[in-house]
Amino acid sequence: MTSLRSRLNAGSYLAFLVWALVLVALLPDSHLGPLLALVVAFGWLTGRGGLQVLASRRLWMFLLSTLAVTPFILGEADVRWGLLRLSRDGLETGFWMALRAATLMLAFGVSVAALSLAQMMHLFDRLGLRGLGFALGVALNLGPTLHDTVEAAYHTLRLRGGLRRPIQTARLFLITVVANALRYGDDVVQAASARAFDPAAGTGRGEPALGRADRAFIAGLAALGVGLLLAG
Amino acid sequence: MTSYTVRDWVYIAVFGALWGALELTLGAYLHVLFPPLANTFFTGLIMAGIGALIALVGRTFVPQTGAVLFIGIITALLKVLSLGGVKIGPVVAILAEVILMELALLSKASPARWRYVLAGALAVTWNFFHKFVMMRLLYGQGISEVYVKMVKEGSHTLGLDVRQAVAIIVVLFLLRVAVGAVAGWLGWDLGRLVARRLART
Repeated sequence: MTSLRSRLNAGSYLAFLVWALVLVALLPDSHLGPLLALVVAFGWLTGRGGLQVLASRRLWMFLLSTLAVTPFILGEADVRWGLLRLSRDGLETGFWMALRAATLMLAFGVSVAALSLAQMMHLFDRLGLRGLGFALGVALNLGPTLHDTVEAAYHTLRLRGGLRRPIQTARLFLITVVANALRYGDDVVQAASARAFDPAAGTGRGEPALGRADRAFIAGLAALGVGLLLAG
Repeated sequence: MTSYTVRDWVYIAVFGALWGALELTLGAYLHVLFPPLANTFFTGLIMAGIGALIALVGRTFVPQTGAVLFIGIITALLKVLSLGGVKIGPVVAILAEVILMELALLSKASPARWRYVLAGALAVTWNFFHKFVMMRLLYGQGISEVYVKMVKEGSHTLGLDVRQAVAIIVVLFLLRVAVGAVAGWLGWDLGRLVARRLART
């Protein structure tokens, strides 16, 4: 289980997400079951973290509400259940809609759960976008600083009676927050320069973005996708 | 990409983090405040307008092709890496918006206010099509039946002619164009105001 996860890098998980998106959009309803099974199997094989989506109350509310509403709004009502008039066609359509949504959400959950920050930065590095990986790391660490900046600007303006002039205050607030965030950014630039960081000098250059296991995995995905589409 | 300096990447991180922080705080708050069916009209519109504003201010400080796209990628990744369940809709919206803004700003000429206005208008206009695209992706063919049924019943219940329904849709579309254009206009001004504050002009 973990061996599959350790053999694949971020490129494979992104390819899996794109593969699932394309198939969800192209496959006929009757072939969604096998696709969902493949997505669940991949999620299970890569550590089950992505399948935690299945424990989400929000997901089930979303799917059940789709199933509950469609018999009333789709198709001709042909079944009477007490005071309610339902449509079998509507229920069937709702089932396929819920299955499609579940497949897509699971594929997204499985791919995202498998991608760590380090993997993403490594992928950007190998793609010659070392700077983007660096920017992602900086952005993730900026949260607390931005929080402090926003809080300080808001309380300063509030204590000076700024809330009485909301438009002018909003303008001042935005200028202050952006200016202070950029000033902090300048400190980060100095720190990076002091360490001789060069965004153009990728450490992963020379290494392929996709390893042998990734290429085999992507070829397998392509074959499975074509097979599912042809079977449709 | 070689023309990007360390400063450019740090500024991309700063604006990506600003947009991401707003998505994670204000976006989540608005989703709670407005019921899901109203998302297209309020939450998406507000978040797209603010996002376009921040990304376009960022473009003032990183005047390079692709800067807005990278700001959007950072924002989308922050959204993906944050806690709180499946968020495929906002991620698709953010990426579509930055691609549209980047297209509007794609020029070797020096930046102009009208390009910012166009970029903002295009970005927020995506909000109009977003729900349709996501519905098609999530629900497949069945969604077209839902729309037809809703329009028919809506026009019957409200006593509206279908032509008036079209007019309402046009107004909703133009509202997005206007909000986006204002975001672009303000983005141009705000960028210059901040640059002046930091004595960079």
